[in-house]
Amino acid sequence: MTQTRPNRTLGPGHDDFWAGCAKGELRIQQCDACGGHCWPVVDACEHCGGAELTLRTMSGKGKVVSWCSFVQDYYRGTMPVPYDTIMVELDEGPIFMSNPEGFAYDDITINMPVEVSFIDAEDGAGAFRLPVFRKV
Amino acid sequence: MSYMDHFKVPEPLPQLSRKSSIVGLGESDFHSDYQAARAKAPGYEGHTSESLAVIAFERALADSGLKREDIDGLGTNYLYGGPTAEETAAMLGLKPKHIMGPSGGICAGPIPAACNDIAQGKAHTVALIFSVATRSIGRKFGGQTFDGGAPSSYYYHHPWGWSSQAAHWALIWQHYMATYGATEADLASVAVQLRTNAMRNPNAVMQSALTVEKYLESRYVVRPLHLFDLCLVNDGAVCLIIRKAEMAKDLPHVPVDVGGWGHAAVTSNKLHTLVRERLRPQFQEAGRQALAMAGIPLSDVQHFEGYDASTIHLINHIEGHGFVEPGGGLDFCKSGEMDVNGSLPVNMAGGILSGSYMHGWNHVAEIVRQLRHEAGPRQVKDVQTSMFSLAQTDQVHPVIFMRGTQS
Repeated sequence: MTQTRPNRTLGPGHDDFWAGCAKGELRIQQCDACGGHCWPVVDACEHCGGAELTLRTMSGKGKVVSWCSFVQDYYRGTMPVPYDTIMVELDEGPIFMSNPEGFAYDDITINMPVEVSFIDAEDGAGAFRLPVFRKV
Repeated sequence: MSYMDHFKVPEPLPQLSRKSSIVGLGESDFHSDYQAARAKAPGYEGHTSESLAVIAFERALADSGLKREDIDGLGTNYLYGGPTAEETAAMLGLKPKHIMGPSGGICAGPIPAACNDIAQGKAHTVALIFSVATRSIGRKFGGQTFDGGAPSSYYYHHPWGWSSQAAHWALIWQHYMATYGATEADLASVAVQLRTNAMRNPNAVMQSALTVEKYLESRYVVRPLHLFDLCLVNDGAVCLIIRKAEMAKDLPHVPVDVGGWGHAAVTSNKLHTLVRERLRPQFQEAGRQALAMAGIPLSDVQHFEGYDASTIHLINHIEGHGFVEPGGGLDFCKSGEMDVNGSLPVNMAGGILSGSYMHGWNHVAEIVRQLRHEAGPRQVKDVQTSMFSLAQTDQVHPVIFMRGTQS
């Protein structure tokens, strides 16, 4: 079932990320100079300022660093509250904010292993695939 | 000008320490204005950022004992919209020779910048005005109100429903609980302590007693954070009049000297640094700069005012600056060390959790009252040195103040 979501950030650089998601790939920028990963999408490397960045497909595996549940309806009904969010550290290093799929707030423990999965979603710009995380 | 440029501060040079002093303080009626806004009595029109600015300025001018024509510098900080500094000068009947550039609005950059401008001879006496009609304009702090003008963590995670300052603090608190075995009742002690402090301040917005039980029964906003973990939203204004120190010694009040300042920002790995390290590297670096400029060790700080956007963020300050070890902040609070007679009295006017949401300006206002020794039932005994620490989700700006001397 397609879920309605708040709007994505779109435009040059951002669109490449979502094109990867459409193919079931979690692509994150990596700096050609220092090797650091950057997420959210940047114009220049957040670690060293390098201008050359290449999209790399992540393994999709990671662990939960922290988590919280939204009770306040900040998006005015776009997503039914309460809903849960997780802060995932991908095995390659970058931090990725997402949602748990198939588990919830009370099931979560710190450093719990998870892996990426993609669900059907839509926002003001149309249909897209959204990366979320399942328990390993 | 980029987002970060708004918050840069002048070099923390020791030769600028105690060369400027706060000589005038004015604030609006936080408590009664909040009551009136909530009651929406017939005929109540509410305030605007202009009307609040006038109130705070006129009170600060009267408090300083100076004449209107003595004010030769002006800096205005209307965080959510207002007139230009030039229009403000006209509104207040001022003819400043120096008008300060834009700042971040929050009380971080403007005080060091004013001190620097005074040291450079651009003005002798600067009025700094902060004014917000935050509640009256219906300002929201999450969801799609944030866009590219804010740090990316405020808006980029919209498709996953993750936004708001509260969500940053919620992730920190969840991680803190998992790391140190702390509980929600432990964090409640911070909200209760600040409410206790607020109840000794007649101008604090919140005056009713808070207990751990009442905290635990309150609704979650972003779980695990409860309503009482998050700062207020209210209208108000604060005006500080800052004067060249050598001209500040024959006025009605004891001058409050600006002793030192610092600044450190997160430039990469923001969420890692915020959640796992709780900005400790930034607190340490910015604090080191401010203490070095003031020429004092941390142990000289007798009173602390930290930016309490959430209860857990106040603990980030206490631990980050090194007043206690990481993980020790909640025990420190529970044992009363943050109370008026404790080893480090903290946020004596109730901060922004229970006092008034003046984005740090009310913390500095309380430091002025404390260092003048005019804080009444919440006076920290014989205090000579106070530390103010503002920190957003990605940067830290401490300012150290010292009780000056009258001639």
